[in-house]
Amino acid sequence: MTEPLIQLKHVSKVYGAAGRGRGEAPGVTALEKLTIDFHAGEFTAIAGPSGSGKSTLLNLIGTIDAPTHGEIRFQDRRVSGLGEDELADFRLRQFGFVFQAYNLIPVLTAVENVEYPLVLQGVPRAERRARSLEALKWVGLEREGDRRPDLLSGGQQQRVAVARAIVHRPAVVLADEPTANLDSKTAAALLDMMLDLNKKHGITFLFSSHDPVVLSRARRVLHLRDGKLQDEAV
Amino acid sequence: MLLLAWRNLWRNSRRSLLTLASIACGVAAIMFGQSLIKTIQYQLIEKATGVITGHIQIQDRRVKELKYPEKSMAGLAAIERVLASDPAIDAFEPRIAVTGLVSSTKDCSGVLIVGVDPRRDPRVTTMSTYLRQGSYLTGGPRELFMGDQLAGALGVRLGDKLVVMGQSLDGSMGADNYRIVGLYHTGSVTFDKSILYVTLASLQETLAMQGRANQFVIRLREPERLQEERERLERALQALPVKIATWREIDPELVGVQSYQNAILKIVLAIVFVIVALGILNTVFMSLFERVREFGVLKAIGARPGVLLRLVLTESCMLGVLGGAAGVAVGSALIRYYGEEGLPLPLGDTLAYFLPFETVLHLRFDWPTHREALVAVVVTSLLAALPPALRAARMKPAECLRHR
Ligand SMILES: Nc1ncnc2c1ncn2[C@@H]1O[C@H](COP(=O)(O)OP(=O)(O)OP(=O)(O)O)[C@@H](O)[C@H]1O
Ligand SMILES: [Mg+2]
Repeated sequence: MTEPLIQLKHVSKVYGAAGRGRGEAPGVTALEKLTIDFHAGEFTAIAGPSGSGKSTLLNLIGTIDAPTHGEIRFQDRRVSGLGEDELADFRLRQFGFVFQAYNLIPVLTAVENVEYPLVLQGVPRAERRARSLEALKWVGLEREGDRRPDLLSGGQQQRVAVARAIVHRPAVVLADEPTANLDSKTAAALLDMMLDLNKKHGITFLFSSHDPVVLSRARRVLHLRDGKLQDEAV
Repeated sequence: MLLLAWRNLWRNSRRSLLTLASIACGVAAIMFGQSLIKTIQYQLIEKATGVITGHIQIQDRRVKELKYPEKSMAGLAAIERVLASDPAIDAFEPRIAVTGLVSSTKDCSGVLIVGVDPRRDPRVTTMSTYLRQGSYLTGGPRELFMGDQLAGALGVRLGDKLVVMGQSLDGSMGADNYRIVGLYHTGSVTFDKSILYVTLASLQETLAMQGRANQFVIRLREPERLQEERERLERALQALPVKIATWREIDPELVGVQSYQNAILKIVLAIVFVIVALGILNTVFMSLFERVREFGVLKAIGARPGVLLRLVLTESCMLGVLGGAAGVAVGSALIRYYGEEGLPLPLGDTLAYFLPFETVLHLRFDWPTHREALVAVVVTSLLAALPPALRAARMKPAECLRHR
């Protein structure tokens, strides 16, 4: 097997403990000593009930948040210890993000939203537009590019978010409950589309969900409970 | 980036418009206030210098009391030559101004007696324009041009004769009969009751001061170049026993009034700025609060803290510039309107008591101060946005995403 893309080693996350020494409770342990490897090309779901630590895990992987203990390596490089700007640049190159809701900038059109990572990367205007339209095509929204998010359905909005998450060819797309606000049919369609992107274009997806229908499409499922990894179902 | 800032501005268009309106009103009010005070100053100075003081005077080097020079100069011709060849000088004349007494058969009154050159004075001062009755000085012997109120107080009329008595600058007294050829009315009690004009030649004779004068009064083509011209004259007249004094030195009260008004202006400006700044601060904070989650998304995607800082600052800078531009438009329109139509000044009557002063102001632009105000508003809008912008930039992405 090739070298893992992302490695977690004994990673723990404790909320509200450090620095708030007011004699309070020791804090909430959201993740406890997780050790996981992720490889390029995966299509992996993180499952678990509410409060089990799914969002926390994705945030740590995506460097949006830092672990309390343990180490996270990306392509065998340590991620912790980077400055704010370096982390932002790192995320800009390596990750795409899809959140549960309110993903899109409401004042920008669909295609402008998709373009945004490329704007941050300083890609020239014409190339930016072409690549964004291409990404919209991949998610089946080539004709909705000029619409503002409020004129798109929930499913369409999430597709635009996926397009934005893949437009700059990141190493991994992290999606935190991308289907939670969608009805089951739309959710299944979104998942099929993501799976299609994974198969056709080799895009790596890590997503969380507690919906069995969604989980059934994953090729690897990690079960979380109270911040601990249950047995892995492959 | 600019596009995003611009669209964000119109996201809550009512709030943005309100803020814009308040900035615009602030700028317009500031411009109007600036123009008002600068116009008052301008008209006051124009009047004060135009009616009697002149822009620059030349006096004997030993004079201590610039306003009422107590020493006189001889050798006027040499000074005349220098002044006549100076292109920056619009007009000038030698004068004698002394305190004295004027008496009719019924009454007498203390006055300031001013001996002028009837041919040149109308170009140096505006006194001749206040003529009410009779004529201005024609150059005939012992003519008198006096205020209507003084004539009333003395119970005399046009054509009557009066005794004018003055103290020559060496201390000796001189007196002569003068005939009233004209009466003037300026509206200022100081002038109409206590200043009288005679010809320089006659006054020199009366006071036995032939060939002497105690002041040269100079009117400049460009009054703004006061200091420059003063230095030039100083060099040109170096060899002569004279000194140069500008109206600012002769009339320090006027300068005092000016700096007093400037101080008031500054205070008013400061208050308006605080109001504008609070308005901007409020708008920026509210618009940030609504968008914390959105900032979280931007941060997650890979926007550096600096990008968000710039985004927020750009938004409020746009507010400042737009509001400022609207304010300048409104302010300019107001100033132009009152520049043409004139603005009746309630205080004008009070001012006119001391000086002949028009009670209608014709507002003028004073672009250097207007520009300062505009720049200050834009800078204020940036500074006011800085604290919320810094906060937005510093927040952790995970915290932002958890918001709401
Ligand atoms: N900022 C925080 N401060 C304190 N506790 C937190 C914070 N964020 C999360 N937690 C706690 O950490 C635990 C894991 O939260 P997390 O959001 O990762 O769970 P989740 O699996 O994503 O749940 P959900 O399905 O509701 O999104 C929970 O007990 C939660 O209450
Ligand atoms: Mg969650």
